[in-house]
Formats: sequence, C-alpha cells, structure tokens
Amino acid sequence: MSEQPFDSSGPRSPEEQLEARLHQTARAFRYPPTPDIAGAVRQRLTRTPRSALRRRVAWVIILLLISLCMLLAVPQVRAAILNLLRLGGVIIVLEQPTATPTPAQTTTPIPTSTPIRSLLDLAGETTLDQAQQSVRFPIRWPNYPANLPDRVYRQDIDGAVIVLVWIDPKHVGGIRYSLHILDEGALVYKMKPKVIQETTIHGQRAIWTEGPYILQWQRGKNAEWEMRRIVRGNVLIWMDGKLTYRLETDSSLEEAVRVAESVPRITP
Amino acid sequence: MVPLSDSDLVSRARQGDELAYEALVRQHQEAIFRLAYLLLGDRSDADDVAQETFIRAFRALDRFDTARPLRPWLLQIAANLARNRRRAIGRYFAVLRRMVKADPDMFEPSAAVDARHGESLALWQFVRRLEQTDQEIIYLRYFLELSEADIAETLGVAPGTVKSRLHRAIGRLRGVMKQEGFTG
Repeated sequence: MSEQPFDSSGPRSPEEQLEARLHQTARAFRYPPTPDIAGAVRQRLTRTPRSALRRRVAWVIILLLISLCMLLAVPQVRAAILNLLRLGGVIIVLEQPTATPTPAQTTTPIPTSTPIRSLLDLAGETTLDQAQQSVRFPIRWPNYPANLPDRVYRQDIDGAVIVLVWIDPKHVGGIRYSLHILDEGALVYKMKPKVIQETTIHGQRAIWTEGPYILQWQRGKNAEWEMRRIVRGNVLIWMDGKLTYRLETDSSLEEAVRVAESVPRITP
Repeated sequence: MVPLSDSDLVSRARQGDELAYEALVRQHQEAIFRLAYLLLGDRSDADDVAQETFIRAFRALDRFDTARPLRPWLLQIAANLARNRRRAIGRYFAVLRRMVKADPDMFEPSAAVDARHGESLALWQFVRRLEQTDQEIIYLRYFLELSEADIAETLGVAPGTVKSRLHRAIGRLRGVMKQEGFTG
C-alpha cells in the first residue's frame, strides 16, 4: 500500500477532495455476488405453516445447541469433536491436516507483507505500561531484532491476551511481525492452516503453521467477537510456563525461531 | 410492456399477489444486501439480514405509505436489523460453528481483492472504525449513491440534517485516515 493510496486531482478544498476520493473508491468496491434473496424470501413466505411441528423442531435444535456449547466448554471433548490440535492457549482446527511431525530444516516461502489495516479496528489498544499493569505476568518481547513494539493491544479471550505489533519500516502500512502472549485460560482458535510442522524453542515443543488462517478476535469499541483472518504470513507457537506465545511473521521458520528464542524466558 | 412502479407492486402484493412481491424483492435485493454486507462484513450475515428485511417488510406492507419511496424504507429496516445483529449475544459461537465448515476465503474480503480494489477495501476498513451512525450515512451516500432526500427518508431525519451529519462523519473519517498516516 502506498503512502497516499487514493488518487486526488484538481484544485479543490480538502473537503471536496476527500468527497471525490470517497465517490471514486467506493465505486470500485467489489461486493460479493448478491444471493437469490427473492427466491429465499418466496420460500419462507409460502412455507406451509406447521407451527406445532416447527416449535418441536426448534426446541430440539435449542437443546442440541445448548448441549454442544456445554460439550465445547470441556477442552478434551472440544478437541475430540472438532479434531483439534492444541498447544497452550492456541487451538488449531484440523479440517484437512497436513501435519509433518518432524523437526524442520526446510526453507519456508516468504509470504506477502501483512497489511496494517487488518489491525485498525482491533479492540483494546493501549500502552506497554498500561498493558503490564493489567496482567499478572511479566510482558517480555524479543531482544532480536531489538525494538520496542510499535503498537500494544490488550484483549480478553477467556483470559488476558497481549498483542505486540512491530510496523515494517520498509513497507508503509505493513506489519513486520507481531507477538501474542496468552495468559493461562485464554484460548484462541485458528482454522485450516496450510502447513503444520513441529519444531522446538529452547528445547520445548513448538508448532509452526504456514498460510492464511482465521483467528478469533475482538474488534471495535464494543469489543465484539469476530472470526477474521488477520495475518497472511506464518505463525510460530510455543509456551513458557503457563504462557502461550504466538509469533506472527512474514519471515522464514529459521528467522522466526531466532526471534522466539530471543524472548527472555520467564521460567528457568 | 411498461414495468410496474413500486407503488403498483406494493398494492398488488397487499392483495396477495406473490409474484408482485417477488418482483419488488428482486428490484431492491442488491442494494439491501450490499448495505448489510458493508455494515456486517460477512456475506452470510448479510444474506440473512437481507432476507429478514423483506420478510418484515412484507408483514408491515399494510402500514407502508405508498406516497413515499420504498427503497429508503427497506434500507432503514436493514440498517436496524444489522445493528441488532452486531449486538447479538452469542454471535461468536454462531460464527465459530459456521467457520468450521466454511471456506476461509469467504470471510476475508482481502483474499479475493486484487490491487485495483485495494483502495476501496482500505477505505472500507477506515469507515468501519467509525460509529455505526457515521458508517451508515457514508455507505448510503458514497457506496450506494443515494440522494440526500433518500438518505433523509432512510434515516428519518430532515434533509438539512443529512448534510451536517455527513459533514461530521467525513471529518471523523479524515481523522481516522490521518491517524494511520494517510493525508487528504
């Protein structure tokens, strides 16, 4: 993304220029194809009313959903039902697993830079100091490459989650990498990564995933839940004591391991 | 054959003409679906809201004033339904269940968007950071290209209010864009 992605021309006021940009860019918006709403509405309106049966079916569905939610509340059952791979607070849904449970020595393809707009409306932006005051564990970040994070988010996903983001100075609007620290109890879900590979960080089991995936997030001022793909790059997941770390990066596995091992350990 | 007006179709639909109502839905379904999609960011949710909009409109058809334009009334219903849906408790579980079965690309607009559409997508992301009232007026004016009069009908405000609300929404949008390093 360039620094000024919207074309503007003509000697107009800033207000008019922005309006022109809005018109221009909004016209280029690509909507999903409109479904056959008329057909669906016709079916719903002409459906034979069998209210007694419908009520009974509705109750059955409600009971099934309640049961499902109760079952999903138990981690072991949840894993069994959904075919999940779990490391710490990260659960990966394995729809078509391509797991390669061997230590990796291969070179990882470098994906495109992650656009910063993915982060624009994440809930809970804060400062490092405030984030530290809000959690019971010490917030650590990588010594390599040494820099303070550019953005800090504090979310609550059944437990505290701290998200540290480093902006890519070479690509305006891009993210170099981000580190997510999940306290005990926090759970996030990932869907369908392309590659799952085991590796180690400080001799402990770690998981490396490549390719796009979807992650559960809170967004907006009301911190609404949303499933969203936030990173196009790769993710390295490891644990330190009860904390789970997720490093999102456009780098190779080797580079990601180097960054991960530079995070000061909390447990000896 | 001269196409029937919205008003004629509404009259026929009130008398039980299902085909007339289906024609009305076809006439307006794209605009309703698009507004719902812009507000919710999910095509499946937008489909649900669009269907519900036309179901509710059908049930309230007798109360609709045929002297007024139909589309703003439908857009108003859709915007209200979208607002409620965003607030709904348990949305996370519903989405999670769906996502397990769905193709991820369906839920990530950027996946299907090439460079030519990047600008409009970036604009959408900026707009989505605004309050819903600001989002609505920007979508109606610039994305759906409604006239100020129709926007006033949709939002139930005076035309002069549309102008001032739009002005304030654009000001806040500019603030968001500047905050992220975009000039203009």
